[in-house]
Amino acid sequence: MNVRRIVTVVEEIRTEGGRALERPARIAVVAAVIENPWAGQGFVEDLHPGIEANASDLGALLAPAVLEALEAPAEAYGKAAIVGLDGEIEHGSALIHTLKFGDHFRKAANATTLLPAVEKRGPAGVVFDIPLKHITDATIRSHHQSFEVRVGDAPHPNEIVIALAAAAQGRPQQRLAPLSTEQ
Amino acid sequence: MQERKERPDESIGLRKLVLYRDVVLTEAGETPAQPAWRASVAAVIRNPWLGTGPSAGLSAEQGHIAPVLAKLLTDRLIAALGGVDEIESFGKAAIVGTAGEIEHAGALIHTPYFGNLVREFLQGESIICFADTRAEAGETLIVPLWHKTHAATRSHYQTISARVPDAPRADEIVVIAAASTGPRPHPRIGDRMSDPVVTTQSLEAVPS
Repeated sequence: MNVRRIVTVVEEIRTEGGRALERPARIAVVAAVIENPWAGQGFVEDLHPGIEANASDLGALLAPAVLEALEAPAEAYGKAAIVGLDGEIEHGSALIHTLKFGDHFRKAANATTLLPAVEKRGPAGVVFDIPLKHITDATIRSHHQSFEVRVGDAPHPNEIVIALAAAAQGRPQQRLAPLSTEQ
Repeated sequence: MQERKERPDESIGLRKLVLYRDVVLTEAGETPAQPAWRASVAAVIRNPWLGTGPSAGLSAEQGHIAPVLAKLLTDRLIAALGGVDEIESFGKAAIVGTAGEIEHAGALIHTPYFGNLVREFLQGESIICFADTRAEAGETLIVPLWHKTHAATRSHYQTISARVPDAPRADEIVVIAAASTGPRPHPRIGDRMSDPVVTTQSLEAVPS
């Protein structure tokens, strides 16, 4: 796995809707900019060897890093694969839609649910939104949220940006009735 | 986690803080001799001078708000970059929302209440280089950095981008401090000591 850059973003919200939060709301993202393992190979039918060679290493790199950046237990999480213009979205999906990738995060965060994801192809500096949901119950409405990210100068056409996101709480000032009240 | 009463949020109109950190592991296919971490920290605050007009003085709010920002931003930079001793270069910036003046951005970053304190907290000596602009929320601002004690150190001329997707609102200001732990990935453009003397007389072909 050839990693060019690692980017960390941490947001700490103090006030929302004009009202101070009881505690700062924290969200962290760590993104690795890697060379697309299938770059320059034309249409590769069998992606499995590339997945075997990279997905677990990526999960092992990003999961501890994003939890360290959050500086708090994660309550919601999500993931992203942003493929450079010469690759297929299937390449990004290959690296993140495997238990070999996500289990590192689930294990480190004591999580059980599927990681919500964004997969997208775009030029360097493309803006993407990572969806996050609760780490043990994806129906917990207070924790449905998303986080906007932009990595300048990535992904190059032959690269992929792989990211994990973690939130220490639900939305700031969340006050919607839970799903169960409508069932 | 800090208790709410200890936070300066309400007194300086703080909405959020955003840290962006970046490390280059390979550049042009090779690992840098000294891989540098770069970081920016942005604070989004309410513009305290909204609607006051161009003849209004700015100093009272400057003296109250800028020192708090200097501390908040440099604390986070130092933590993100592994300690103040690791930091070799620095810079600063501000983006004022469309209902404010560029002068409001300048008021928060170009006076001793911010600059002197950032320099002191980051243990530098140089003048701090800067960028500022007025923009809609989500504008990317390129923040210049140079060496914190020897500003003319050419290897450390570099930039980092800062962007907050939903700020500044028209009535807000984004104030940014930035730093790096080293030079560009592969610096090789010489320095003032090794430069030849270049004048219009010394060149064989003078630009015309």
